Amino acid sequence: MPGKLPHMTLQTILPPERTLTAVPGGSKKRVLEFFSTFIAQNTPSLDSQEVFSRLIGRERLGSTGIGNGVAIPHARSPHCKAPIAGFLKLQEPVDFDAIDGEPVDLLFVLLVPEEADETHLSLLAEVANVMNDAGTRTQLRKSESQHELYETLTQAIHRLSDGSSQ
Amino acid sequence: MDSINTLFIFSGSLIALSILASRLSSLFGLPLLVIFLGLGMLAGEDGLLGIEFDDYSLAFIIGHLALAMILLDGGLRTRLKTFRVGFKPALSLATLGVFVTSGVVGVFAMWVFDLNLIQGLLVGAIVGSTDAAAVFSMLSGSGVNINERVSATLEIESGTNDPMAIFLTITLIEVLTGDIGGPLDTLLMFIKQFGLGLLIGLGFGWLSARLLRAMDLAPGLYSLLALALGFCIFGLTSALGGSGFLAIYLAGLMIGNRPGRHLQFILPVHDGLAWLSQIGLFLVLGMLVSPSEMLEYALPGALVALVLIFVARPLAVVLAIKPFFSFRWREITFISWVGLRGAVPIVLAIFPVIGGVENSALYFNVAFFVVLLSLLVQGASLAPVSRWTRVEVPIGVTPNHRGVLGILPENDYEVFVYKVENEALEDVPIRLLRFPSGALISALFRQHAMLHPKGSTQLRLGDELCVIGRTDDLPALNRLFNGNARLKRERAFFGTFTLDGDALMSEVASAYGLTLSPGEQDMSLGEFVSLRVGGHPVVGDDVGWHGIHWVVSAMDANRVTKVGLRLYQ
Repeated sequence: MPGKLPHMTLQTILPPERTLTAVPGGSKKRVLEFFSTFIAQNTPSLDSQEVFSRLIGRERLGSTGIGNGVAIPHARSPHCKAPIAGFLKLQEPVDFDAIDGEPVDLLFVLLVPEEADETHLSLLAEVANVMNDAGTRTQLRKSESQHELYETLTQAIHRLSDGSSQ
Repeated sequence: MDSINTLFIFSGSLIALSILASRLSSLFGLPLLVIFLGLGMLAGEDGLLGIEFDDYSLAFIIGHLALAMILLDGGLRTRLKTFRVGFKPALSLATLGVFVTSGVVGVFAMWVFDLNLIQGLLVGAIVGSTDAAAVFSMLSGSGVNINERVSATLEIESGTNDPMAIFLTITLIEVLTGDIGGPLDTLLMFIKQFGLGLLIGLGFGWLSARLLRAMDLAPGLYSLLALALGFCIFGLTSALGGSGFLAIYLAGLMIGNRPGRHLQFILPVHDGLAWLSQIGLFLVLGMLVSPSEMLEYALPGALVALVLIFVARPLAVVLAIKPFFSFRWREITFISWVGLRGAVPIVLAIFPVIGGVENSALYFNVAFFVVLLSLLVQGASLAPVSRWTRVEVPIGVTPNHRGVLGILPENDYEVFVYKVENEALEDVPIRLLRFPSGALISALFRQHAMLHPKGSTQLRLGDELCVIGRTDDLPALNRLFNGNARLKRERAFFGTFTLDGDALMSEVASAYGLTLSPGEQDMSLGEFVSLRVGGHPVVGDDVGWHGIHWVVSAMDANRVTKVGLRLYQ
C-alpha cells in the first residue's frame, strides 16, 4: 500500500505499559472484563462498560480464538480516537471456544475508531501474521517480565515488516 | 487341456503384472489406465507376446460385464448427499452436454475423415461420454480434495452419461444399417431407455438394499449377493428395452446409501471387482487394437482428440452449466478439463463392428486414440490444473481408518484409528487430552508393539491410537489430532477468524463497519453468503466484499454454519 506504513502503526499503538504479563485468567468473560477496566484507566476517553460490551458482542458472532492458544479480540468503538492495542499474557490458559479447541493464554486486543475501517482490517491482518509464527509464540510464552514480553513483540513486528517490505 | 493351462498362465501373469505396474503410476505420474492399456498392447499381436486376439464379440461381452461392475461400484460409492449440489448440473451435462460434445466432434470427424453426416456423428457419439472409472480413479488417486460442487458434478455426470452415449450410438448404427424405424419409434426408444432404467434401477435397487440389510449372511456372501442382484437388474432392464447401465448405477446408489453392517463387507470387495474390471477391460482392449493398423489413423485421430479436449468439451460444459447454474469460471474450466474418456468409448467402438457397419475399423481406432490422448493429457495434469483453477479445498485430519463395531443394532459405536502427527501432543499424558466424553482410547501402538493406554501414558509422535467413539465425536477428535501444519494451511485458506453462520448481518456489519442494503439487515451471515454465492454453497466458496474474503468453512446440509474471514494482506 503506497504512502501507508501499517507496521509502524502497529508498533506505535502498542506502548510498553499496555503489554501485560501474569494476567489472572478465570474465564473468557473475566479476561475481557479485566482488559476493559484496564484500558479505561489507561485511556480516559474510553468507558470500560462500553469496551466490554463491544468486545463481548464481537465474540458472540464467533470466537476470536484463532488456535495455538492465541486470541485476537477486536472491536470498533465510537469513543476511540486512534487505534489502540493491548497484549495480555495469562497466568492460566482459559477456555476461549477457539477454532482448535485449545485454551488461550496469549491475547492481542485491538480497538479502533469507528471511521477507521480499512486500518482496522490491515491491523487485524498484521496482528494475525505476528501471532501466526510458532517461534514468536514460544518466545512470548517464555518471556517472564513485562519488558521481555514487549521486546519480543516489537522484534516480531519488526521482523514481519522487514519481511513484507522486501 | 494345454489351452486351458495357457489361459491361466497368460491371464494370471498379465493381471499380476498390471497390478505390480500400478506402482509405476505413483512413481512417474503416468495414469494407471494407460499402463494397463500399454501392457495389453505389449501382449497383443504387434507386441512381445504376439497374441492374436481379435475376437470382438468376446471383447463385447467382457466390456459389458466390466462396465456393469464399474458402474455398480461407482453407484455404491456415490453419497446421496452430494446430489444436493451435483445432481442438476450433472444431469444437464449427461444429456445436453453429451449431445453438444458428440455433435461438435461428429462434425469435425465428418470433415477430417470425409464421412457423411451420420457416420461423423457416430464417431462423436462413441466418444461422447466421460468415463466413470477413469474419473473416479483419477479424482481419488490424485490425492487432491476438490470442492464438493465440482467433485459431485463430475462423479454423478460420469455415472449417468453413459446411457446417453449408448443411446446415441445405437440409434446412429441403426440408421446406418437401415434398421431404424420412424422418428416416433426413436423417441419411444429414448423414453424406454431412460424411463425403464430409472424405474427399475431405483425400484429394484431399493428392494435389493432392503434385502441386503435384512439378511443375516456369512460376511463373504453380502458382496456376492449385491453383485448378483445388480446383474439381474442390468439384465432385466436391458431385456425390456431400458438402459441396463443406468439401472445398475442407480441400484448401486440405492444399496450404497442404506447404512448398515453389510456395507463394510460389500464395499472392499466391489472396490476389488471394479479394479479387476478396469484391468481386464483395458488389457483386452489393448490386445484388441493392432498398433500397425492404427498408425494410419494416428494424425487424424489425434486431431479429433484435440478438438474434443479443447473445443467440444469446454463448449458443452459452458452450454450445459453456465446458463442454468451459478458455477464460477474456474470451476467450469476444471470440469471442462476433467472430461476424461475411458473404457466406454472403446466398448462403444465395438458396437459398429458387431453391428456390421462398414468401415468399422475407423471407429475403433479413432476411439482408441481419443481415449489414449485424453488419459495422457487430461489425466496426467489433473493435480496441477486443480491447483491452478483453485478448486482445491484443504482438509483437516480424518481417521486413517474407521470401522463399525456392529455390537449394538443401531450401529452406534465405531473404531477410529489416528496417528499422532500433531507436535503439540508430544509428551502429553492421555488424561490431559481434551477428549470428548464417551469416546475412549482402547489401544495404543508404538514401535510395532501394543501398549495398554493409561491416564499417565505420554503420547509420542508416530503413535497409532485406536479410539472407540461415535460419529458425533469425530469433529472434536479430528480437531485434537489436527497438526499445526494443517491448521496453518486451513487458516491461510479459510481466513484467520471464523464467524457463526447464524450471526445476524446487522451485528456483523456493525462489528466491521460494513454497509448493508435494507433487505440484508435481517439476514443471518450464512444466508447472506449463500445468496452472494448464488445458492447451493459448498465448503470453500468465497465472496469478496468490503475488502474481506468471506469463505464458507463449514456446512450442515444446505445451511452455512461457519464463515471464515480472510483479510487481504
